[in-house]
Amino acid sequence: MTITASSQQKIDAYLSTLRRQLRGMNAEEVRDIVEEIRSHILDKAALATEENASGAIDAALATLGSPEELASQYITDNLLARAEASRSPVRILKSLFRWGSLSVAGFFVLLGSLFGYFFGVVFMLVAVAKLFHPHTAGLWALPTDNGDFALSFRLGFGGVPAGGRDLLGWWVVPIGWFGGGVLVMLTTHIAVWFVQQYRKSLLLPRG
Amino acid sequence: MQEREARDQDAAEKWEVQLRKGCLELAILAALWDGRRYGLEILRRLESDSALIVSEGTVYPLLSRLKALGMVRSEWVESEAGHPRKYYALTAAGKRRALEMSAIWTRFSSSMSKLLLPLAKGK
Repeated sequence: MTITASSQQKIDAYLSTLRRQLRGMNAEEVRDIVEEIRSHILDKAALATEENASGAIDAALATLGSPEELASQYITDNLLARAEASRSPVRILKSLFRWGSLSVAGFFVLLGSLFGYFFGVVFMLVAVAKLFHPHTAGLWALPTDNGDFALSFRLGFGGVPAGGRDLLGWWVVPIGWFGGGVLVMLTTHIAVWFVQQYRKSLLLPRG
Repeated sequence: MQEREARDQDAAEKWEVQLRKGCLELAILAALWDGRRYGLEILRRLESDSALIVSEGTVYPLLSRLKALGMVRSEWVESEAGHPRKYYALTAAGKRRALEMSAIWTRFSSSMSKLLLPLAKGK
């Protein structure tokens, strides 16, 4: 069986999009997947008669679905499996960024996790900053225009804010350190929980 | 009224899709029971023996997941077609899982069939 140049081009284009979309998985797995799909397409073409081969290739590509869709089926599970097994915020965020770009559910979990990690890190930064800027860093209540107060985490750069009050004093060190740590841990646990629930709802029960 | 019927039919179809999805893992393990097969062979087996219409784009990621779970192993084999094919075979864990699932399926479907007997008569 011979494959025309234009059919060969279509196959190559499909596979290179697939390869690009599988980024994030390890190189050997990606090669394995791409070669398997190539062999599937060639087998499908070989089933057709000589003059019908290019039609068969078009049909094979169509029934596989778009390379983006196909890749997302591989990658969602692969990435989430890694996130689930991990307790590292960096790893989890990396997987969540990819998940967030693939599904609405993933997007919201990513948003929540960014929020949790952001405040966790701010708490801890303030606790450290207090050691270097004892008079200006901490959790401050600052007056607002309408006579109210607004809470502000301050790292202590610049002067003492006018009319502001340092709420926690030195307590911000243990509270910020501990509270920030708990927030980071909690965010990790909640993100992993969502990942687990999502994976359970996917095709297979977890093994 | 027609709208209502169309909606009901839509719901029935969705249910069928879920049902197929739920059975796909067992179907793939069963298709590998008597020996190694490559992806397209598995697909053909599912279509011819069980009339399970599966999207081709679903089976390959599922095989990859089954491999990650240790249910199947894979190897590349040169073929007379000129390109290598990726063959899958059940592992010991995969065989155990297939037997477990098949026992559950048999129990479930026989009690369901009993329950559905009056419906079949009433038709």
